[in-house]
Amino acid sequence: MRDRAAHEWATQAVDVKPLRLSGSQPFTQQLGVYMMIGERTNVAGSPKFARLVKEGKYEEAVSVARQQVENGANVIDICMDEGMIDGVAAMTRYLQLLGSEPEVAKVPFMVDSSKWEVIEAGLKCLQGKGIVNSISLKEGEEKFRENAAKVLKYGAAVVVMAFDENGQAATFEEKIRICERAYRILVDEVGFPPEDIIFDPNILTVATGMEEHNNYALDFINATRWIKQNLPHAKVSGGVSNISFSFRGNNKVREAMHSAFLYHAIAAGMDMGIVNAGMLEVYEEIDPELKVLVEDVLLNRRPDATERLVEFGEALKVASAGDVVAEKKAEEWRSGTVEERLSHSLVRGIDAYIEIDAEEAYQKLGRPLLVIEGPLMAGMSVVGDLFGAGKMFLPQVVKSARVMKKAVAHLTPYMEAEKAAQEAAGEIVKAQGKIVLATVKGDVHDIGKNIVGVVLACNNYDVIDLGVMVSCEKILQRAKDEKADMIGLSGLITPSLDEMVHVAKEMERQGFKLPLLIGGATTSRAHTAIKIAPHYSQPVVHVLDASRAVPVTTSLLSDDGREEFEAKYRVEYETLRINYSQPKQPMATLEEARERRTPIVWKAEDLAVPEFFGSRVIEEMPLKTLREYIDWSPFFHTWGLKGLYPRILENESNGVEATKIFNDGQKLLDRIVREKLLTAKGVFGFFRAEAVGDDVKLPEAGETLYFLRQQTKREGKPCRSLADFVAPVETGLADSMGAFAVTAGIGLKEMTEKYRAENDDYNAIMAEALADRLAEAFAEYLHKQARDVWGYGRAETFTPAELIEEKYRGIRPAPGYPACPDHTEKGTIWRLLDVEATTGMVLTESFAMWPGSSVSGLYFAHPESRYFSLGKIERDQVEEYAERKGWSVLEVERWLGPNLNYDVVG
Amino acid sequence: MAGVLDVVKVQHPLEKVLEERIAIIDGAMGTTIRTYGMTEADIRGERFKDSTKDMLNNGDIFSLTQPAMICDIHRRFLEAGADIIETNTFGATSITQSEFFVDDPREHGGRKDPEFYQKIIDDKFLSGLAWDINETSARQCREWADRVGNDTGRQRFVAGAIGPLTVSLSNSPDADDAGFRVVTFDQVKHAYKEQVRALMAGGSDLLLVETIFDSLNAKAALVAIREVFDEDGTELPVSISAAVGRGGETLISAQTTEAFWNAVKHVKPLSVGLNCSLGPDLMYPFLSELAEKAETYVSAYPNAGLPNPLAVTGFDLGPEDMARFLGNFAQDGLINIAGGCCGNTPEHIAAIAKALEGKAPRVLRRAVAA
Repeated sequence: MRDRAAHEWATQAVDVKPLRLSGSQPFTQQLGVYMMIGERTNVAGSPKFARLVKEGKYEEAVSVARQQVENGANVIDICMDEGMIDGVAAMTRYLQLLGSEPEVAKVPFMVDSSKWEVIEAGLKCLQGKGIVNSISLKEGEEKFRENAAKVLKYGAAVVVMAFDENGQAATFEEKIRICERAYRILVDEVGFPPEDIIFDPNILTVATGMEEHNNYALDFINATRWIKQNLPHAKVSGGVSNISFSFRGNNKVREAMHSAFLYHAIAAGMDMGIVNAGMLEVYEEIDPELKVLVEDVLLNRRPDATERLVEFGEALKVASAGDVVAEKKAEEWRSGTVEERLSHSLVRGIDAYIEIDAEEAYQKLGRPLLVIEGPLMAGMSVVGDLFGAGKMFLPQVVKSARVMKKAVAHLTPYMEAEKAAQEAAGEIVKAQGKIVLATVKGDVHDIGKNIVGVVLACNNYDVIDLGVMVSCEKILQRAKDEKADMIGLSGLITPSLDEMVHVAKEMERQGFKLPLLIGGATTSRAHTAIKIAPHYSQPVVHVLDASRAVPVTTSLLSDDGREEFEAKYRVEYETLRINYSQPKQPMATLEEARERRTPIVWKAEDLAVPEFFGSRVIEEMPLKTLREYIDWSPFFHTWGLKGLYPRILENESNGVEATKIFNDGQKLLDRIVREKLLTAKGVFGFFRAEAVGDDVKLPEAGETLYFLRQQTKREGKPCRSLADFVAPVETGLADSMGAFAVTAGIGLKEMTEKYRAENDDYNAIMAEALADRLAEAFAEYLHKQARDVWGYGRAETFTPAELIEEKYRGIRPAPGYPACPDHTEKGTIWRLLDVEATTGMVLTESFAMWPGSSVSGLYFAHPESRYFSLGKIERDQVEEYAERKGWSVLEVERWLGPNLNYDVVG
Repeated sequence: MAGVLDVVKVQHPLEKVLEERIAIIDGAMGTTIRTYGMTEADIRGERFKDSTKDMLNNGDIFSLTQPAMICDIHRRFLEAGADIIETNTFGATSITQSEFFVDDPREHGGRKDPEFYQKIIDDKFLSGLAWDINETSARQCREWADRVGNDTGRQRFVAGAIGPLTVSLSNSPDADDAGFRVVTFDQVKHAYKEQVRALMAGGSDLLLVETIFDSLNAKAALVAIREVFDEDGTELPVSISAAVGRGGETLISAQTTEAFWNAVKHVKPLSVGLNCSLGPDLMYPFLSELAEKAETYVSAYPNAGLPNPLAVTGFDLGPEDMARFLGNFAQDGLINIAGGCCGNTPEHIAAIAKALEGKAPRVLRRAVAA
């Protein structure tokens, strides 16, 4: 369909302006590609939808719109024309609900009614550019002009029916006469953009048995062609299902008729049509015999065409009885874990399964609160992250909260039962959290605060919203009266910040014990920490946006979480205060920084000489050996457990869990070692080296390593560069440095894939965590070998534990880490050691290492060499570094973004 | 009907300016007012001395009670090089003013809903106040624009500023009903029509619907403007400017840049652009998208960076920073009108004007003739 139509377009109309519409997202018609207009939200097109509206079940009716968008409708047609429905009220209510449904609101809406007041009510709900369906000359030119001007005033496109004072246009001549007349009035008199005019030249029912109806399909198709050739930029649409009305009840024939009709009409230039996207046969797949019969009818090719199709259709109907067409394909995301499903529902704002999934999670976790504070909160936190990154917008956050509300509502009876049981057992029961919200005195802005209120209410908080311009006394009095658990202050303008400080002071003076939350566009974490929090001894916490409100309130009201949360935020805020009170660190120019290089007195006896130059490969490193070098603490971090090994195993709060994971890890590691599930390979080498400025040249290898220098001026501290640890060429001393690359990830992919196929995510993650540890251990082990090669390592008597603490001489910094954040320097290591050929490890385009569980880096042997963090650098160094590497400044800025001490535009 | 017709219009003198160079629009009224150290008593003056609510942050009122200060600010922006100054009417509608004069029903357990706002719309005091602020401010701007214009031999223009309101037509503050709205389209339109008429009566050269965070509110303003034009048989150029978030969306109604342009294009605005919300650097990609799509002049008057309550002006960027950023916008051919929003003082505008002097304006993409 598409190809042929596109072809005709190319020859027909080069300069046609496409139809441009919008919901919250833009929609631009692709010329020659048929636009799908969903018809299921039309009371005339869907008995189910009509019933839902009549019964006032608007929420369910919203899901009908959602389904259509998911099925690919470009625009959805909304019609409430039905005797029993109050059109204005229903149109308004339904469109306002759709406006709060981000997945639907992204597409343009077609407001469909024969009554102008219903159309206008609809237009008042559209933030984007929709389509009015329809206006016509039925009531004369004056009315037509008036309505068209109103449509233009609201900024919508318009469907014009081929009707005039004498009625509906049926023949080709009538159709084109009326359309041309309407076009001239719209374009010449009303000033309507011609590309926004969509003609509906009436698709009328064929095969009715009346001879004068036989040419109706052809009349439409020919009228379409004429319109596209003679009325510049105008579009053509039509209600496709009319064509087959005489075959009601015989979907097979109807689908074939729709499809064949569209095939010809689109080729003639039809742009769009109202159609059930799920009920269309593919033209090429129509039974050939049926296709001929259908086209005989549509194209009026023989007088007995109707009879023949009716006959064939009856036979088909009998044969296909019982055929059920599965309209909806199974949704893939439903096969995830219950946690994943809950998260998906929250992030995508889908409420269809939230209750079932909440129930399943409850059955799994045993307590309703564990569901809320566990997977549901985790899902909301994803929402928060996406919002923070500009990947989700406020209406979506609100929609997520509304889905959350449904889950919480489902769990509420369980919580009440639990409470009743606790009360019966004589325990103290905590009531639902209560929060007093207000925009402070002097400030009238509260749309954002209202959104926070909705999000909190959806999470089962009792929200008492005092509105705007609320005085401190009123806020505090109300908080006392209501026995609130928390107070939330909001403000958008700068003077509100002082008022917030005032409220904090008053709370302290009056001896309040409640946490205080601060939010609003001009507030910030730093301001809260520095200016507000010091005035009130209870927690004062900044809430970045609506998506972050619930995690904060939940932590503050949770018995278990509050202490940890408070401790964490107090440290953070204290740091902010300290950083603020310290004068800003001044920056050195690159020249100054070089004068402040690491002070090293170069002596030949400090320079180690390796036993060999060039590289050596370790084909297969015994995992048993590596095991002894594992630093286990990071292993626990992978699992979200904080603490140092081995003390963590005894920890009160997470020791039991840590021990279990540790034991499981040991078991799997035993297997890995025994069955050689993973292979560790590595390569390392040594090269003669001399420092030239901030670079280190490896003359024999013909390579240069490029380093960066700290530029922050710290009292009595040098401005370091890794180049400082290699003897400068001017000293004339012979120095050397090394490089290495190791992996323990060979075989990892097979392992994890196998586990994942068995739905065993736990062991998949465990395998990854262990491989990571082995790789790090390998790097630690190999560094020991390197020190031995250089000689000074042979005198070491460190235990593996002391090695982990890095008490030895020399360092092994990795490109991409704080001392040399430029990841591309790994490329030099790869060339120096021929890493890909010797170990199979490769660098991706973004200079990440594959397989995972790999480590690479450089060896420096000088006793003064140490790790440091580059920190921020200035434009002068960026420009010079670019020149040294032969890059553009832009490239350097892209790779070193976080280290730049200035803003880059673009 | 006459207003809807596409009649041949005499070119507006501002259009002539825009054909030749980048026009400068002024900076932040609120930020600059705060440097004058005004007190509650100052803003109240005689007229509002008995108000029960705090007035100090109701900055539009200063045009009535402290005209000398407001005119001084207008003058400073004009002398800094602004071709266009905005009236001090960001919140000068009955709806926004009601927040400063009518008790919030939520303080007593009630709620704000269309019934509440109908009373606001019908309130004679608030309508009268809205008229006074708009008409007075437009007149003050007119006077100073003409005065400085005559003195310098360069015509200056007054933009009647139409703000976004304190209510949203797209958002429901009711946790139990996503379809609830506190106010109706017709109520919002009514309030805007009052404002538009008064701004025109005071002598505005153009109307500027700005800081749009909810496109439906903006649409109500644009319908209001069209209706006033049609009913009163007179017309001014209209400019449109949205406040966008990190994804380039109108903050509350979440409409992305191109979708927004499609929705307002029918107004045939003199210019469309972005202001407020994000600082210039974060605004760049969306401004660039708009500059590519819009077949009209493009404006940008960003905040002086993101809000920073610890900075003196409340915002991060100084005059030189803003000058550099907007200079880059011009370099990349993105803008026809430039200035600043929150955090931009007359010094910022002077620096911007200087940086843009002699810089070529964005080449206008005209729609292919129909």
